[in-house]
Amino acid sequence: MKLSRRTATVAALSATTSLALVLSGCASDGGGTGSDEKITLTITTFGTMGIDVNYAKYMEENPNIVIEATNLEDGGSARDDAYAKIAANTGLTDIVAIEEGWLSTIREVSHAFVDLRDYGIEDNKSDWLDWKYAQGTDADGRVFGAGLDIGPQGLCFRGDLFEAAGLPGDREGFAEAIGGDNATWESFFEFGQQYTAASGKPFYHNPSFFWNSFVNQQAEGYYKKDGETLNIKDNAALKAQMDLIVANSNIGAGLPGWGVAEQAKNDEFAVYVCPSWMLGVVSGYYDEGTTGSGWDFADVLPGGAANWGGAFLGVSESSEHKEEAAKLALWLAAPEQQAAAFEAAGPFPSTLKGQDLVKSSVNAFFNDAPVGEIFTNRAKGVVAQVKGAEDSVIQDNVFGAVFDRVSQGELTTGDAAWEAAMELLDQLVKQ
Amino acid sequence: MSAIPAGRRPLSSSLTFRQKLSNWDYKFSPYLYVAPFFILFAILGAFPIVYTVNVSLYDWHLLKGQGDFVGLENYATTFTDPFFWNAFGNTISIFLFSAVPQLVMATIIAAVLDQAIRASTFWRMSILLPYVAAPVAVAVIFTQIFNQFGGPITGFTELLGLDPIRWGYDPTPAHIAIATMVNWRWTGYNALILLAAMQAIPRDVYESSALDGAGRIRRFWSITIPMIRPTMIFVIITATIGGLQIFTEPKLFDGQSNGGSNRQFQTIVLYLYEMAFPRRDFGRAAATAWILFLIIVLIGLINYSISRLIASQDISRSVRTPRRPTLTANGVRR
Repeated sequence: MKLSRRTATVAALSATTSLALVLSGCASDGGGTGSDEKITLTITTFGTMGIDVNYAKYMEENPNIVIEATNLEDGGSARDDAYAKIAANTGLTDIVAIEEGWLSTIREVSHAFVDLRDYGIEDNKSDWLDWKYAQGTDADGRVFGAGLDIGPQGLCFRGDLFEAAGLPGDREGFAEAIGGDNATWESFFEFGQQYTAASGKPFYHNPSFFWNSFVNQQAEGYYKKDGETLNIKDNAALKAQMDLIVANSNIGAGLPGWGVAEQAKNDEFAVYVCPSWMLGVVSGYYDEGTTGSGWDFADVLPGGAANWGGAFLGVSESSEHKEEAAKLALWLAAPEQQAAAFEAAGPFPSTLKGQDLVKSSVNAFFNDAPVGEIFTNRAKGVVAQVKGAEDSVIQDNVFGAVFDRVSQGELTTGDAAWEAAMELLDQLVKQ
Repeated sequence: MSAIPAGRRPLSSSLTFRQKLSNWDYKFSPYLYVAPFFILFAILGAFPIVYTVNVSLYDWHLLKGQGDFVGLENYATTFTDPFFWNAFGNTISIFLFSAVPQLVMATIIAAVLDQAIRASTFWRMSILLPYVAAPVAVAVIFTQIFNQFGGPITGFTELLGLDPIRWGYDPTPAHIAIATMVNWRWTGYNALILLAAMQAIPRDVYESSALDGAGRIRRFWSITIPMIRPTMIFVIITATIGGLQIFTEPKLFDGQSNGGSNRQFQTIVLYLYEMAFPRRDFGRAAATAWILFLIIVLIGLINYSISRLIASQDISRSVRTPRRPTLTANGVRR
């Protein structure tokens, strides 16, 4: 189960695993830009990032550029792909999308990517949220990644199902019912218990999302602020959340974390933790252009606002066209293009101007929810947590594995689940 | 070709240059003819294998590269890692679920095709078709069929009012599902090889036994099976090597993890992959590769000694003890 990365088995915008956009060459036929040689730039992305909507425009404006894009199904594949190519010292595409979950590992070998300061990223430094810009900077001050999106979180929910169960189904009413600005995970699960009791249907699909959200809400996550020391054992807050989730596993559907399109349509769950980029995942469970599915999006997150995920674009040092690749990467990460990607797939801009551009955006799939305004609210005061080198292993192979067993009813007490997690942690992470 | 007799006779200075040349040609040409294979093998096979030994002796980070020399520590850690033994057990289990039914089915199919049937080429090509399909495509389709959540098999068990089988979660059903993919792909291929062996059996053996009153079943057990033994051994050995290196099917059975969220169907090669990429410990991945190599050599040696044992038996004895072939198969499986 991949939690720290955007994943979509069925994604509306990346229906194909490999998308090659090749300009037909009509512009240069006229000879307008004259002697310019055609340059092919390659880019690797993953999941539903939405930036592909910008490629055609760039090629139109720059007739000498041909963009060849590869979109991998999920962040895990993108991670393994990037690791293998960095290790082999060859094979990286000109531009590589990097996910926050494994950014810290890339930071250790950031020399594989160019320093974007050489290509003028500093001129627009103030565009980005400070913390987002800092995440893409390594210990030597080299900027190896240009921030694309951030992951402020709200709750996706099925208003129609809540109403049928006699519970508030409009977005303000639902937010209020679980405590509004003071919503806690306890009150959230209490609401879920009421829903399941009244409807006889499961409330959520998989418990791991609540865990992940919670971990991201902490001042320090799996690692202390230094990014080196583990912060898991003797962490009472994490243990308490584990207890709470396991105690409420009776209202879960026992489904996998991702790829639950059929179950969504069968009303087998009614709520989904939605970082911005998750909107495309949920709407991707339905046919393109679907409205009136019952899904809505509320301006609330139990336990307070937090960031989950977000991507960066790096330009590989092995690229033959660093100059042009950097220009394209910075263009894709610029506010206007971030806004276009948001409109297409949901990932919320990491630039203030980009956020401003989308603030009045509504999402037809989510019952015309004012997603621009909601994410602007949800992003207020949010600062991404420090991630360590093994964050993605801890996420997937330690807690992901345990929550799969909780979900399947194999671990029925918080103590047992915690013990299983600590055992895996000892096995997998050198301390 | 050469006027000079083969051999030991020392080159004497009395020979003409042409004679010497001819002598060298005789001595060295065969090696030159086979050299391309060995040169390619040295570059693409031997060098990586030896280099893997080197990597396995170091603390070697995938991205940061070579670290300290640690001797055999990577091997020791791997042998004490419960996840390695879990992967080992899964591999053997999937291997048994695939190799045994596969060989039984392949033998039966080959025996049927060995009969005089109409359109025999059509049937022979048909059974080979699954082998033509790309393993990735096969894995993707079977993963859908065995999907625990809403796959056709789950739908069928629901119709019968049974609890759904947790294909993606419980180890044994997962192993069976993965073995099914392997079987689907390889049964026809093995059947064709066995069929070729069956067709090489002289028909007069069958005729005379038929005259002696042996029925079809009796002839199958007493003539066909004993006489295809060498081929059977070959098929078993290749199935063993393939089965121990299984990767694509379990990797794609749950595309998001490396063999199940709780390693329910993580094979040794998937363990190696997890070690090399998500966990970035190249040293231990290299050590695992060598351990896997040694396991395969060990099992190959066992197969080889059993096959020698069988090859030395004469056929008339086997005919008198028709049960032996099944014992053979058992012995090799061990």
